[in-house]
Amino acid sequence: MTNEDLYYTFIDIANGLLTGSMLGGYYAMVSIGLALNFGVMRLVNLAHGDWLIVAAYIAAALATLTPLSPFWMFVPVVPLMFVVGYVLQRWFLNRVSVQAMERRGMSTNFGLMSPLLVTFGTSIVIAQALLGIFDSNARGIPNELSFAAIRLGEDLSVSVLRLIFFFVAVAILIFLHQFLHRSHIGRAIRAASDDSEIAPLMGMPTAHVYAVASGIALGIAGAAGVMIGMSRTFQPFDGPQFLLVAFGVVIIGGLGSVKGSLVGGVLLGIVQVLAGTYFGPAAQQVGGYMLILLVLAFRPKGLFSA
Amino acid sequence: MAEAIFTTSTATAPSARPAKAPLLRIGGLSAFYGELRAIYDVNLSVGEGEILSVIGANGAGKSTLMKSVMGMMNRGSAAHTRGEVVFRGTRLDRLGTEAIVDAGVAMVPEGRRLFPRMSVEDNLLCGAWLPRCRVGMRARLDEVYALFPRLAERRSQIVSQMSGGEQQMVAIGRALMSSPSLLLIDELSLGLAPAVVDDIYRTLDDIHRQGVACIVIEQDLARALAVADQVCVMLEGSIVLEGSPQSLTRTQIEAAYFGTGA
Repeated sequence: MTNEDLYYTFIDIANGLLTGSMLGGYYAMVSIGLALNFGVMRLVNLAHGDWLIVAAYIAAALATLTPLSPFWMFVPVVPLMFVVGYVLQRWFLNRVSVQAMERRGMSTNFGLMSPLLVTFGTSIVIAQALLGIFDSNARGIPNELSFAAIRLGEDLSVSVLRLIFFFVAVAILIFLHQFLHRSHIGRAIRAASDDSEIAPLMGMPTAHVYAVASGIALGIAGAAGVMIGMSRTFQPFDGPQFLLVAFGVVIIGGLGSVKGSLVGGVLLGIVQVLAGTYFGPAAQQVGGYMLILLVLAFRPKGLFSA
Repeated sequence: MAEAIFTTSTATAPSARPAKAPLLRIGGLSAFYGELRAIYDVNLSVGEGEILSVIGANGAGKSTLMKSVMGMMNRGSAAHTRGEVVFRGTRLDRLGTEAIVDAGVAMVPEGRRLFPRMSVEDNLLCGAWLPRCRVGMRARLDEVYALFPRLAERRSQIVSQMSGGEQQMVAIGRALMSSPSLLLIDELSLGLAPAVVDDIYRTLDDIHRQGVACIVIEQDLARALAVADQVCVMLEGSIVLEGSPQSLTRTQIEAAYFGTGA
């Protein structure tokens, strides 16, 4: 191996680690809502990816209405998505949840099935609604940093946008971790996640606690949606592809841990980028799924499961 | 210890309770799991600051009775109750569990049911979730630590790594964090070492002296009788014997417990 080969191998790996990590922060954001929903409510939200796309569309629509930088779109989209999540859980998903089905005397198996069907239906409705309201053309949210990059060397650079999003993601995840551990409602969310039958004995209204958890899940999905909109193009039917990313991160990182989501996201990102570099763009997804399969085979509960 | 801790607005000192206004009155209470009836037409009352021991074999309906008081049997077609539960004039049977806790009733569930991934302190703070409990929450936490000094030393330990006795202390402390006037304890000593049980009973005495009424489910007959103001024996979902420990003979209680109809 010549020095030049070594140099390019080094550059490839450095680029994989760097770009993959950046990608991972945003993957963590994409997945944390899914993990929170399942960890707390035992709800597998099959519409999770579609809500990300909804947030991207809302951000894109608002961005065209104001002269402000698209970065400001986090400000309305995150609280809006929180409200959507709260309302959806409180007055809709709570009625079809595992717990609600058990209250009606249905078996747990049926109980798990019911929210799956409902969120699968929601996913279809959202995608069709987006297609009806907008169109099937790919959109993006053009912004001043779309093509900006920091050069770290002659052959190594990092996208400024990705770098900003990585730090935003880490900040949001740290905030979420602190929130879950230090606030009253955060403790209630963890309590309801540990033992939903006993949480009411603490005076905790689980319907409200679940709704807040779901609000947080969609709020973070909202932030991820804005990031998607600003860093790539999106279409009405892109939701499921993000749902798959989210499943992958949850499998790798394990449920019930914010740290797991971040590490899972970063690992998935790095493997995808390296696989893409060495075996071509088609190998990106294959590499990601290989990692998921390996984790499932050797650590089926994920690397950071509680 | 025990000065002015956990005193509730209407609590009275045990020495001064001649009137014994019923704090809790259960009238004609039946509970069902689906079609299956688990308790039949139960009537009983507990006075302010009183300790009621409920004894009975496994499956006699003791836990179901407690769950019914806490509104945990109102689960649509899966489980429901009939009859009334009145606490200080409020119909608890029409309220949800959260509202019942807010009214001043707390429960230590069977098997303790702590939040296993949380620390001692987080478990205790969970007990103070209600808005009315958040004022003075830290002071109440110190009071619980005063009752159970061992918990103060281990406040940051994850509860699943603790012994059964320590977990029971956390469970009792967690229930006390909501400043209840009535504390229900399901299986106070089950599966615990005798020395630990002694400790826990001493603390129960402290709690009782602060004016908190208790309903205790206990398998240990001697302890149940020693601590109680009133005893009731359940058999196959009904109360078959009740009275003060002094007024009942051991033979009577054993006959009721085993249903041998002496």
